[in-house]
Amino acid sequence: MVFSDLFFLFVFIPLFALCYLIGCWLDNRNVQGVAKQNNAYKNMMLVIFSLVFYAWGEPIYVFLMLICVYINYLSGLWIARSEGGKRRMALVSGLIGNLLILGIFKYAGFFAQVLNDIGLSVGVPQISLPIGISFYTFQSISYLVDVYRRESPVQYKFKDLLLYISMFPQLVAGPIVRYGTVAEEIHNRSVSIKDFSDGAFRFLIGLGKKVILANQFSEIADQFLIDGLGTLSTFGAWIGVLAFTFQIYFDFSGYSDMAIGMGRCLGFHFNENFNHPYCCNSITDFWRRWHMSLGSFFRDYVYIPLGGNRSHQSLNIMIVWFLTGMWHGASWNFIIWGLYFGLIVMIEKYTILRIKDRVPGVLMHIYSLLLVVVGWGIFYFDDFGNMTQFFSSFVGNTVYQSDVIEQGALLDNFWLWVAAIVFSLPIRSRIVGLADRLLPGDNVLKGILFVSARVTVSVAILTLSVALLVGATNNAFIYTRF
Amino acid sequence: MKGSHIIFSIVVVAMFAGYTIVFDTFPRSTFSELEKRDLAAFPEFTWNKLFSGDYTKEISSWFSDSEPYRDMFMAWSMEFDEAKRLSIGDDDVKIQISQDNVAISNSQEALGNEVGDEEYQDSLNLEDNAKLANSGIIIAGSGENVRALMIFGGGSKGGGAYAEVVNKYKETFGSKVNIYSMTIPNSIEFYCPEKVKKYSNPQRPFIENVHSLLSSGVKAVDAYTALRRHADEDIYLRTDHHWAPLGAYYAAEAFAKVAGVPFKSLDSYDCRVVKNFVGSMYGYSKDISIKKAPEDFVYYVPTGVDYATTYIVYDVNKNYQVTRESKPMSGPYFYKFNDGSGGAYSTFMGSDKKLTKVETSTKNGRKVLIIKDSYGNALPGYLFYSFEEVHVVDARYFTKNMKRYVEGHKITDILFAFNVFNAYSSSFSKKVERYLSQPDGTTYPADKTDEEKNDTVKLNTKQQESAVEIEDLATENSVDKSEHAGANSKKEKVDSIP
Repeated sequence: MVFSDLFFLFVFIPLFALCYLIGCWLDNRNVQGVAKQNNAYKNMMLVIFSLVFYAWGEPIYVFLMLICVYINYLSGLWIARSEGGKRRMALVSGLIGNLLILGIFKYAGFFAQVLNDIGLSVGVPQISLPIGISFYTFQSISYLVDVYRRESPVQYKFKDLLLYISMFPQLVAGPIVRYGTVAEEIHNRSVSIKDFSDGAFRFLIGLGKKVILANQFSEIADQFLIDGLGTLSTFGAWIGVLAFTFQIYFDFSGYSDMAIGMGRCLGFHFNENFNHPYCCNSITDFWRRWHMSLGSFFRDYVYIPLGGNRSHQSLNIMIVWFLTGMWHGASWNFIIWGLYFGLIVMIEKYTILRIKDRVPGVLMHIYSLLLVVVGWGIFYFDDFGNMTQFFSSFVGNTVYQSDVIEQGALLDNFWLWVAAIVFSLPIRSRIVGLADRLLPGDNVLKGILFVSARVTVSVAILTLSVALLVGATNNAFIYTRF
Repeated sequence: MKGSHIIFSIVVVAMFAGYTIVFDTFPRSTFSELEKRDLAAFPEFTWNKLFSGDYTKEISSWFSDSEPYRDMFMAWSMEFDEAKRLSIGDDDVKIQISQDNVAISNSQEALGNEVGDEEYQDSLNLEDNAKLANSGIIIAGSGENVRALMIFGGGSKGGGAYAEVVNKYKETFGSKVNIYSMTIPNSIEFYCPEKVKKYSNPQRPFIENVHSLLSSGVKAVDAYTALRRHADEDIYLRTDHHWAPLGAYYAAEAFAKVAGVPFKSLDSYDCRVVKNFVGSMYGYSKDISIKKAPEDFVYYVPTGVDYATTYIVYDVNKNYQVTRESKPMSGPYFYKFNDGSGGAYSTFMGSDKKLTKVETSTKNGRKVLIIKDSYGNALPGYLFYSFEEVHVVDARYFTKNMKRYVEGHKITDILFAFNVFNAYSSSFSKKVERYLSQPDGTTYPADKTDEEKNDTVKLNTKQQESAVEIEDLATENSVDKSEHAGANSKKEKVDSIP
C-alpha cells in the first residue's frame, strides 16, 4: 500500500484508528491496578495492521519479512546470552543472515549479470525486489549491532521486535529507525494533544509534498528524460533533471514527513531524515542534510568500525560511498553515483572545506547544487546508453533546439516551480520565528493565528491531494524501490 | 497553545471522518461524463491474483477510480493545472504529446455511443509502418478563442488500404454506380499555431496521395480546398474533435458539384443553435480552459423539401460488432439537443449505430449511399435537395450484403466520407471491404454476461452461416490489439513526432 493512495487515506487509516482506539481502551482497562503500562492491545493492532499494510503490496514476501524478523530475534537473544568470542560470532552470523537475504533478493540478479559480463556463464535469477527490503534489513542490522554493543537492551518478545521492524509508518521507505530510538516507546509511550496535532500536520505536509509537488514534477521529468530523450535539447535536459531534483526531494522527504507524523500520532519519536538539503553549501554539508538516517547508519556501523578518520580514512570514505550507492539499487549507475559523491566529499576535505569561510556563500551554494543536480542525472538513468545521451545533451552537445515543449514545462508549471523553490527553503521555521518575534510569549492572538494557518493549510492540502489522486494508479514513492 | 492543538486536532479528525464517510458509504461513480468512459469495477477474486498482488492493487485502483463525486474532484484538479500556469498572452500554446492517449482509448466505447470515432487510436497503416496517426493534442490560444487540435501523425504515403477498398467498390459496381471519395482534413490543418507546426504532419500530401491511388473511375471530392477557402468561418468546432456543420456544408457543396446534382444555398435552411456547447476535447485534454470556452453548435435544417427518415438500430458489443438489429423504424433526422449538451454533434441521426434511409421529395432518379465515419454524419442533411434517397452506412456497423443492398435499393452514387485519421487507418476500410462479401444478417455474439460466462456461446442459424467470418475477425481483432499496444509504447510515440 502507498501512503498517497485514497484507499490508504480513507479506508486503511480510519479502520486502523478505530481498532487502535479499541486497543487503547482495552489496555487502559488492563492497566487498572497494574503499575506499568504495557500497551499489549495497542501494539497488537499496530502489528496486525502493519502486516496487512505490507501484504497489500507484497502478499508473498510478507512471509520473507516475518522470517527475517525471526532470524534477527534469535540472533539478538544469542548475542545477549553470549560473551567474548561467542558474542562476536553470534553477531557475525546474524549480520551474514541479513546480508544474505538482502544479497539474494536485491543483488543476486545483478551479481550474476556481472559474472556473465566478465565471461563466466551463470544463469541470471529472476527475483523481484521485495518492497522496503533495504530498509528493514538495515534496521535489523542496527538492532543486532546495538545489542552487541550493549547500547540497546535485547528484545525478549518476538512480537515486539516484529513491531519495531514492521511498523507501517516507516516500514517501506524509512527513515531507518534505530532500535534504541523506539525501544523504550514500544512499552511506554504517551500521546499528548500536541503530539497528535503536530503529527497530523506533519503527515499532511508530507502528503502535499508528495501529491502536489513530487507527482507533478515526475511528469515533467519523465516527459524529457524518458519520452523526449530521443530529441532532447540542452534546455530540455536541464529542465528534466531539475524537475527530477525536486521530484526526488519532495517524494522522499514527503514520505519521511508522513512517517514521522504518523509515528508522532502514535507516540513514537523517530529521528529527522532531512534538513533542507538543497540549502547546503558543500557536498559534505548536503549529505549531512539528505537522508540523514542512512548517513548516520553508515557512519556508525561502517565508517567508524573501519577506523573512521584515524586510519586509512580515504579508503574508509570510498567504501562507505560505494556502499551508499550500492544500497540504492542493484545497478552500476547507483554505484557510480555513490563513488561520485565519495570522491567529491574526499576532495572537499582537502580543498573547499578549508577555504569555505572566505568564499561568498552564494558561490558555495551554486557549486553544491550543480554537483547535486549532475548527481541526479547519474541517479536517474540505469541504462548507460540513455545516460550518455542525456549528458551529451546536458552539456550542449545536441542538434535539437528547445521550443514550445520546454517553454510549456516552465510556464505551464510556473507556480509549481516557484513553490518547489520556496519549500526547499526552511520557510516554516522562518515563519514561526517571525511570529515568535512579533508576538512574544504565549498569547491568544498567536494561538488563533496558529490554528487558523494550520487549518487553512491542512484543508487546502487534503482537498487538493484528494482531487489530484482521483484515478491515480501509478503513484509509488521512489524510495520504496530501494 | 494547548487550545490551538485541540482545535486543530478536532478539525483534522473531522476532515478525515468526513472524507471517509463520503468515500466509503456514498454511492460510487460508475461512469465518467467527463472522460466518457466506464470506471473501474470492483475486481473479481482469484487466488492467483491475490498471490501476485494484482488483486489488492486492483482494489486500490477501483477505489480511487470510482470514488463518489469523481468528476467534481477531477474538475478541481484541472483547475489546479490551470492555476499553476503563468499565462503570457494570446498566443499561448499547450501541447500534450501522447499523454492522453489512454483517456482517448478508454473513452472509445462511450464515444461510440455518442459521437464516436473509436478507431482514432487504431491508426496503424500496414504500408506506413507504425506511424501513429493520433499522437496528442495541442491547445492553442486562450480565453474564449481557445481551440483544441488533434495532432495528425500520419505520413504522406498512407491511405493505400483505404484507396484499395474504394477501388474495389468501383470494380464491383462498375459503371452502374458512381463512386466518390471525400477525405476530410481535421482542424489542426488550418488552425495550428506556427511554432508547434512541426508536431503535426501536413494532411494535404496525404490526401493527395489517397487521390492519386484511386482508380480512374473513382471521383475524388476535394473537401480540402472547399474548407480552406472558408477557414476564417466557424467550419470546425473548437472544443470537439469534429468539424462544425458549416464545414460539412461546404464539403457537401463540393460533392454536389462533382456529382452533378442540384444544391441549395444556406438560404433554404433554417439555422438552429445549441448554445454553450463543450465537446469531446475537454475530456480528452482534461484542460479546463476548454470547458471555460463553450461555443455555439450551429446546424442547418432544410426547409423547402420533404423527407422521411427510417432507421435500423444496432446493438453493438465491446468489439464494435453488431449483435442485433431492430426492425426498420421511422424517426427524426435531426435530434434536438438542449443548450449546454456536450453530445450536440449527435444531432444528426442521433448515433452512429444505425443504418439510415432518408426518402426525400426530390425527384431526379439519383439515390446516394454514404459510407462514413462520424465526420460524415454532418453531410447527409445537405443532400435532401439533391437526391431522391440518402442512405447512410456507418463504416463500423453493417449487417447486410452491400452488393445486394446497393442493387436492391437502386443506388446510383456511393460517397466515401472519412476524416484523415480513418482514411489513414486501415481498420475502417477492412470492415467496409468485408461488407461486399458478407451474407445478409451478419451479426456477432453479444458480450457475455455473468450468467453466460461458463456456457458455450450458442450461435443462431444466421450466425452459423458466418461463423467462419467470426473467426477471421477474432484473430484480426487480436492482431489489431497487439498492433495497438505497440503503437502506444513510448518509443513509437516518440518516433511519431517528426
